[in-house]
Amino acid sequence: MSLTKGAWAALITVLVGALCLFLEPHVDWLGKWPAGWTLPVNDWISQGLGAALGILKPVARFFAWLLAFPMDGLTWLLSQSPWPLTIASVTALGWRLGGWKMALLGAVGFGFVLISGYWLQSMRTLALVFVSVPLALLMGLAIGILAYEVPRVKSGVNVVLDVMQTVPTFAYLTPLLFLFGFGPVVGLVASAIYAAPPMARNTLLGLERVEHDIREAAIMSGGTRRQQLFLVEIPAAANQIMIGVNQSLMAALSMVIIAAVIGGFDDIGWEVLLTMRKAWFGQAFLAGLVIVVFAIVIDRMSATLATQRKAFDLRISGAIVGIGAILSFIVNPDSTSYAMMGGVAASVDTAVGTFTANNGAALDSFKNGAMFYGLLPLRIGLDQAVLPFTWGFMWQPQYSLWLFGVAIALGAVLAIKGRVAQGIVLIIAVGILETGIADLPWPFVLIGVGALGWMGGGWKLARLITILLGTILLAGLWERALLSLYLSGASVFACAVVGGLLGLWAALSKTAWAIIRPMCDVLQTIPLFVFLIPVLMFFQIGEFSAFLAICMYAVVPMIRYTRHGLISTPPDMVEAAVSSGATRWQMLREVRAPYAAPSILLGLNQTILYAFAMLVIAALIGTTGLGQSIYLALGQADIGMGISAGAAMAILAFIADRLVQGFAEDRRKALGL
Amino acid sequence: MSKAPAIEVEGLWQVFGEKASDILKEVRSADTRSIATALQDKGLIPAVRDANFEVHSGELFVIMGLSGSGKSTLIRCISRLVEPTSGAVRIDGEDILQASNSRLIELRRRKLGMVFQHFGLFPHMSVADNVAFPLKMQGAGKTERRARALDVIKLVGLEGRESAYPRELSGGQRQRVGIARSLAVNPDIWFLDEPFSALDPLIRRQLQDEFLNIQATLKKSIVFITHDIAEALKLADRIAIMRDGEVVQIGTPTQIVLNPVDDYVREFARDIPKGRHMTISEVMEPVGDNPLAGDWPELRTGMSLEDALTQCAATFEAVPVMDGDGKVVGQVRPESFVKALGSEAT
Repeated sequence: MSLTKGAWAALITVLVGALCLFLEPHVDWLGKWPAGWTLPVNDWISQGLGAALGILKPVARFFAWLLAFPMDGLTWLLSQSPWPLTIASVTALGWRLGGWKMALLGAVGFGFVLISGYWLQSMRTLALVFVSVPLALLMGLAIGILAYEVPRVKSGVNVVLDVMQTVPTFAYLTPLLFLFGFGPVVGLVASAIYAAPPMARNTLLGLERVEHDIREAAIMSGGTRRQQLFLVEIPAAANQIMIGVNQSLMAALSMVIIAAVIGGFDDIGWEVLLTMRKAWFGQAFLAGLVIVVFAIVIDRMSATLATQRKAFDLRISGAIVGIGAILSFIVNPDSTSYAMMGGVAASVDTAVGTFTANNGAALDSFKNGAMFYGLLPLRIGLDQAVLPFTWGFMWQPQYSLWLFGVAIALGAVLAIKGRVAQGIVLIIAVGILETGIADLPWPFVLIGVGALGWMGGGWKLARLITILLGTILLAGLWERALLSLYLSGASVFACAVVGGLLGLWAALSKTAWAIIRPMCDVLQTIPLFVFLIPVLMFFQIGEFSAFLAICMYAVVPMIRYTRHGLISTPPDMVEAAVSSGATRWQMLREVRAPYAAPSILLGLNQTILYAFAMLVIAALIGTTGLGQSIYLALGQADIGMGISAGAAMAILAFIADRLVQGFAEDRRKALGL
Repeated sequence: MSKAPAIEVEGLWQVFGEKASDILKEVRSADTRSIATALQDKGLIPAVRDANFEVHSGELFVIMGLSGSGKSTLIRCISRLVEPTSGAVRIDGEDILQASNSRLIELRRRKLGMVFQHFGLFPHMSVADNVAFPLKMQGAGKTERRARALDVIKLVGLEGRESAYPRELSGGQRQRVGIARSLAVNPDIWFLDEPFSALDPLIRRQLQDEFLNIQATLKKSIVFITHDIAEALKLADRIAIMRDGEVVQIGTPTQIVLNPVDDYVREFARDIPKGRHMTISEVMEPVGDNPLAGDWPELRTGMSLEDALTQCAATFEAVPVMDGDGKVVGQVRPESFVKALGSEAT
């Protein structure tokens, strides 16, 4: 019997799994990687990097001293400038960028910030963003141009950008803290570093996409290389570069708020953190709302830069600023006297309090249900999760035998029907559920992931990801990595199901999309940190809250890509199917879904990366695994732990990314796209 | 006509791939085909194979071939948008493959103009700025640029659209801008890379006619690329036909139509109404000893066969046309046949 590639991969994996299962009781090191075999990677990094950073430290401190000037200046300016003038300036900018719509957005948005009572804190956050973003933009532009001009460094630059974006945000902070010392400059530098890659990527992409004819026309006009680049190619790539500016701004805002965990700067992120820690959810909610408003204003205004737009009359902008200046003399300059949302915060508090009090039982049973029947078995396996306390009875070893028996029987049926791979995958899935992700034997994981790599991208990918996984094992981070894998895996699975269904619904119904779309827009604009507030309000600290926060953030790409894939079937394919007499459902199943597969896979890929990014932030409200290590390392200024755990996260994200991309590429090739 | 050819291409090779130049030197042999095969065996792509031709001053030289025949690469070798692997390209006697970077920029600023298939307009500049861009590169002042730009914009018939942006123009208008820009510095040598291929047939014909008018007054030395044999025959003084990177035939339109060197060229010429491209002189024979008697139509040597035929047919009387019952319903003159048939094909 000839087996497909997938069947072979599954077969090898299941055999290794079975072998591990039988040998585990006899061979200790199969289940748990012995501590004696780990390398003291943390110490090496601490010492090596510590020495290197020590040399850099004086330079960094000088840099920090230098950066403090623009930052202090801007902070002073923004906090001293009378609020009517600030609001008028934002409104005027909005008018200039996008007419009355943007002007209104600016006025309402900043008006809300004023009455929220967080005006001063917000201005400090804004100052941080506006000092870090120019740095990020300059760095990004320079990197992008360099990669474009010197093709030899391009692949290297891409790798660096990948790493900069996959290394979790918290992991940046530990070494930076060491270099720059406590204070807002760390947040500044971290967000500049974090915000540079999108700018660099979009610059490179934009430059590469400049039409060939345009480039040659510049050459034939007799421009020098510099003239070609600055007079023709960069302006021609302006739209894409502006998308980079937009993404860079958003990344900087997100990071500035995350960096508040370092403390030392009374900005809006700190306010959220503080109120959250004190369980003042009303206040936290309000402060979170301010951040969301900020994010939306900055995002929508900067997004207009990337579109073809007409220039709006500058005189009207001037007039708006003038009115603001005049108002500054008339109204009370004390911004705090306009805080009128305190009542709202209080009532949110009471409302949430009453709600949780009244529905506590329902909320608890929802949470416990999800934990006991979903998350816990995934984490530690049915054999340990099924207890009288959770499921009402005790798991017996013979249940495992029964379970495996049924799985093997079903698998055999599938195999006989010719779906060998599916049959074996079923057995593997049951095995994982019985054992629990956190308890999986390491040879099984290594071989299984390697087999996936072989299917998705051949031997080279298989080798690469096995080696990378092996380094996590050697570094002694295996258990924590599996815990992270479990939580992100569970969230990604939930997102795939929910997001897939929502995407399908949005593809089928215009009304549905009209409802879902603005929600997606807002969810994608909100800085990561803010997702923690609502889940905390209702479910307190714990794994389930983290799971929900991750899902909320990571579900969006799945929805978007699923819908996009399903609706972008080429019209002639649809017409061919219709004229063949396909019903709506037949069309969906036979034509649209297969065509959408690569797009949906890319959505899944994004969802995975989002989940990893959020996993680390969610460590703030109680997750275990690598995220927690990174967060703890920050608190203890443990560079070795911070870097190695961050690297392990990045490795997991990288592996997931390459695997899914590999499969997506396969599908695309099969479809001839 | 001046003595030195405007453009002289000699033994030009463009081979893509690693170490193309070294390998090309190694496999040198007498026969182009065997060199090309040897290169392909080593995984290289010989896009232009030993091209040799001259373009005379004021001549409209068309390079015609199917896509992938290497014609676009060839024009890029001549304008040095790509670095040829070996050979020489002399413009007014100067080998531009040896020219330094700054000399090349100088040449492009003063002497060369180029029009692109997809126009290559700068999206962030108005029509006037696009057209004036080469002048800006020259370092010309603002007022001078403006004046000259308006001149060429007028020449291509786009007056009044100077401050429009490329996105606001139709395809035909965009290419007019492209043409205007390439003429802004009043170049001696004019490269046109499939300038009309992206346009609708009607607009294409209109622009071809205007292009011929412009050329009639400006008398540039032109290298014009096309994949359309009809366009080549309509415009060219001489045509070079390319296949698989090789120039297989160079000749006047008549020579191409009448004496194709091989089946490939014959295949191109097949759908062309020969009567329109051949002249009387090509089918005429010497008058014998007996002087021709009778009432003959006036034929001239430069006349196309089609026209001549119409003239000849005009000497015959009209013939009646009958319906099924033998009743006369009209009449037809022989030249009407010729005219009707002639005007049908393009």
